Amino acid sequence: MTSRRGFLKSGALALFAAGLGGVPNFLAQAAGSSKILSPYKKNKVLVTIFQRGAMDGLMAVTPFTDEYLQKARPGLFMSAARSAANPLIDLDGRFGLHPAMEAFAPLFREKRLAIVHGVGSPNKTRSHFDAQDYMEAGTPFRKGTSSGWLNRAVGLLGHEAATPFQAVSLTSSLPKSFYGDHPAVAISNLQEFAIQMRGNARAANAAANSFEDLYDQTSSTLLNRTGKESFEALKMLQKTDVKNYKPANNARYPNSPLGNSLKQIAQLIKMDVGLEVAFAETGGWDTHYNQGTAQGTFARNVTDLSQSVLAFWTDLEAYQDEVTLMTMTEFGRTVKQNGSNGTDHGRGSCMFVLGNDVHGGLVHGQVPTLAIENLEDGRDLPVTTDFRSVFSEVAGRHLQIEQANVLFPDWKGNGIGVMGRV
Amino acid sequence: MKNKSAYPVVVLVLLLSGMLLVSFKNATSYVKKAFPYKKEGLTERQAAAHLLSRFTYGAKPGQVDEVVKMGLENWFAQQLAANQPEDRVEQLLAGYNSLRMTNEQIARTYPKGGQLLKMAIRDGAIAKDAVKKEKENRAEYRKALQAYMLQNNYKLQNELNRELQNQKILRATYSQNQLQEVLTSFWFNHFNVSLSDNDCARFIVTYERDVIRPNALGNFETILLATAQSPAMLTYLDNFMSAAPTDASSAEQERREQRMRQQLRRQQPGLSPVQQKQVMERVQKARKEQGLNENYAREIMELHTLGVDGGYTQQDVTQAARVLTGWTIFPGLNGNTINRKEQAANSNGNSAYFARQGFVREGDFLFAANRHDKGEKVVMGTRFPAGGGYEEGVKLINMLAKHPATARFISSKLAVRFVSDNPSKSLIDKMAKTFTKTDGDIRQVLLTMVSSPEFWSKEALREKTKSPFELAISSVRSLNAEVTNPAPLAFWIAKMGEKMYAYQAPTGFPDKGQFWINTGSLLSRMNFGLALVSRRIPGVQLDLAALHQNREPESAEHALRIYSNYLLPERNLDETVQRLTPLVNDPEYSTKVNNAASKLAPDQEDQLMEEEEVMLMNRKGKERQARKKTAARQEQASNGQDMMLAQVVGIIIGSPEFQRR
Repeated sequence: MTSRRGFLKSGALALFAAGLGGVPNFLAQAAGSSKILSPYKKNKVLVTIFQRGAMDGLMAVTPFTDEYLQKARPGLFMSAARSAANPLIDLDGRFGLHPAMEAFAPLFREKRLAIVHGVGSPNKTRSHFDAQDYMEAGTPFRKGTSSGWLNRAVGLLGHEAATPFQAVSLTSSLPKSFYGDHPAVAISNLQEFAIQMRGNARAANAAANSFEDLYDQTSSTLLNRTGKESFEALKMLQKTDVKNYKPANNARYPNSPLGNSLKQIAQLIKMDVGLEVAFAETGGWDTHYNQGTAQGTFARNVTDLSQSVLAFWTDLEAYQDEVTLMTMTEFGRTVKQNGSNGTDHGRGSCMFVLGNDVHGGLVHGQVPTLAIENLEDGRDLPVTTDFRSVFSEVAGRHLQIEQANVLFPDWKGNGIGVMGRV
Repeated sequence: MKNKSAYPVVVLVLLLSGMLLVSFKNATSYVKKAFPYKKEGLTERQAAAHLLSRFTYGAKPGQVDEVVKMGLENWFAQQLAANQPEDRVEQLLAGYNSLRMTNEQIARTYPKGGQLLKMAIRDGAIAKDAVKKEKENRAEYRKALQAYMLQNNYKLQNELNRELQNQKILRATYSQNQLQEVLTSFWFNHFNVSLSDNDCARFIVTYERDVIRPNALGNFETILLATAQSPAMLTYLDNFMSAAPTDASSAEQERREQRMRQQLRRQQPGLSPVQQKQVMERVQKARKEQGLNENYAREIMELHTLGVDGGYTQQDVTQAARVLTGWTIFPGLNGNTINRKEQAANSNGNSAYFARQGFVREGDFLFAANRHDKGEKVVMGTRFPAGGGYEEGVKLINMLAKHPATARFISSKLAVRFVSDNPSKSLIDKMAKTFTKTDGDIRQVLLTMVSSPEFWSKEALREKTKSPFELAISSVRSLNAEVTNPAPLAFWIAKMGEKMYAYQAPTGFPDKGQFWINTGSLLSRMNFGLALVSRRIPGVQLDLAALHQNREPESAEHALRIYSNYLLPERNLDETVQRLTPLVNDPEYSTKVNNAASKLAPDQEDQLMEEEEVMLMNRKGKERQARKKTAARQEQASNGQDMMLAQVVGIIIGSPEFQRR
């Protein structure tokens, strides 16, 4: 405990206190000179995005030379031919990126972005609830697991939380990934991290002082400690103008839930408040009806995803060495389109990993020819890479976590080489 | 003559004493000796406040006096009997139709989101491409869908969930049988199911109503069996699909695979989309039907009975899962007609035949004999000989309910709920002994707990941290506030970290302070206090002046003491009062609050409302109500004294002392 308190008192807070108070554009300064400002080793940050609803990996990253796929999806298949109206972005002669994800193309070319295809869970469930639950717990065959894999990752970092912002989920309640014994906090909006009196700042201040005083005196250790942390955290955030945040490099976040979440994660990273594991989520991937092609539901979703991530990456230019971002989704969708121009629940999907120590510019994993005999249960892109293999490699390498058996208790597999700068 | 005339007298005496016995049983038969609080240094009033803080959702003004007058033991006995009239609750819940529906009616009335759209398209109420054009024709499309829903009496699933959450808030606030409500919540959380599981969600109303509440103060084995057979649990932990594993090399299996392949090959574009879908579903179902699912078997041991260290192995889990194969939901309920045999079990002509085959139907529960693994099993040393059926599962449940590890595990969870996050071994031992002796009589176990010095010890007082739900309801109760619309409260409870009925993991919400209290949630608690008293939570009406019979407090400091006493009866308030006195005595302060409040135009405030709150308010009729309330609020705000009082009360609600119970 002393180390934790000590750090706060002598470290981050002291920095804030020492002449920085009232700096209107603190962020700009911090962004420019963070390495000089902070005498402490920079934290590595793992940012995860859960795409709830099961993304159609075959439409995001299409094996466009596959005739079986073309036949199975007469209304959904898109071509990479230059002559096509909205061609896929040819990545390597075999896989094509959905045109609405052109924001990802330069990241892929710069080898910052890696794609893993045919990834999924060994558990064949096609229930969103079960598959998300298994993936977030990290135990594909156990429902009773009480902790989430990201919470266990926090426990393996090897140091105590220096601040309340070590693990932050940009959601209204804690996701299963964050369940567990290690401190993690759900904040849907940084602006709400304050004592609120609705436009009555002075009264809010007075109330905040009273609260702080009362929590300082309470005999309950839990309330006393957490109260202190709350007010310290609140002061940290107050030093910055969260509301009028100006992203660096003219980065433009889409005005979407995911865009806002990533923007706030970027703010936390720049504020240097000790963030190490962040979680955001995006919905609408369950495209049973009218999935669309170059336009439509799916295209809108991937536009949002890729532009949000690109804005985040651009905004964080000065921090890119510290940050790795990884997407995940509970399963993929059927190879064949269904009767309502959509796709149903399937097995393998794809995921994106972005960072400077990522083995990027490559589509990892195995995607067989999509002939019916190669499909899982005669209908789905087979899961050729266990999600734990990617999760443990990315988290392990980036956050320098060992003990994969704690992160994923029932699993003994290896990584697939998605990390490692080429 | 003599004998004759004596008869009626004897009968009368017998009748009277019979009546006396009945009322005696209701009131005091459970509590045979006085609670040992005096030895622990508590006054009767302090003990009453402690009792109320643990077994109710918060003491109402004057309730400590009531309990003292009645006698602590009598009050507890009355709560154990749980037979107080509930006129108010019934009146408040009269409009909640889903609360009186069967699972079937609920499934029919509240189709799942996707399903509703499908049906509307099927019935031609909306054109298929209307969905695509939703963006352009939003209003029209919505109108058509609404008309379709109205015509068929369909309602949105969200409404069902809202009624579920609202009724919990209303019951907790107004029920006279508080202990029953607290225990209903406890057992629900112990046997957790979740709204986050969309298939399970619509079974939750009946789950709480028929499975949990009636058994909350009953017998452990009864509630365990009832949960095992409930559609909610069968869905949530997958047992509904668990079936005897088929031999992969069997001829039948091969034929089945063959059929699947053929079906798939035949899937040429010539098939209609509907047919294609049917084939796919059949294939999927065929796969699902094969094999064992261990989820429920594991959790019934780990979470519901023995506890994780209860002495079972993985082997026992698999064996128990085999015992429970065939325990499923009655077909048709979930749109999940499993196969013809099971469906036929329903039709009256065949029911005798299927009963002979070993099928058992109990309401929405079905034991599907054809899916049961008939081989021999051994669970924790107990043999289940080959050829068994439904009775095996009942025997397993009986065995688990009576296991000594279960007695300890359940006692320990109850002690954590009611005494302390870390209850002493001596207390758990005593409770477990009663559990075993009484075959899991929950009332007796609670009584042993309350009769133990550990319950009253100084270490236990104020040791528990209120959950967000408890914080919200205890605020409302202790201020005598009225809940006219519970939805905004539910929103705040979720914001403070407790999404009601929606904890995703089968463990239920962890019952410990560390789980509830973190930097984010603590700030939300403080903001909740401030929002509640400044009437920024629509749907809750409170009148601080009326609470104190409209008597004007002598001074600001006096007011502080009076209202602290309402919120925190029998607590030592010196510290709190001392800390807050400078605030209330600050001459500038009330001006500050007052000025700022009057500057706040209603429009501006509405803009500042949370998005969700606005959503809640936007529903028709509510808007007008909101405007009226804002006007009332302004009027209120013109009185600086009231604003100040409100703020002080808000701070007490957000204070550390009020987080404890």
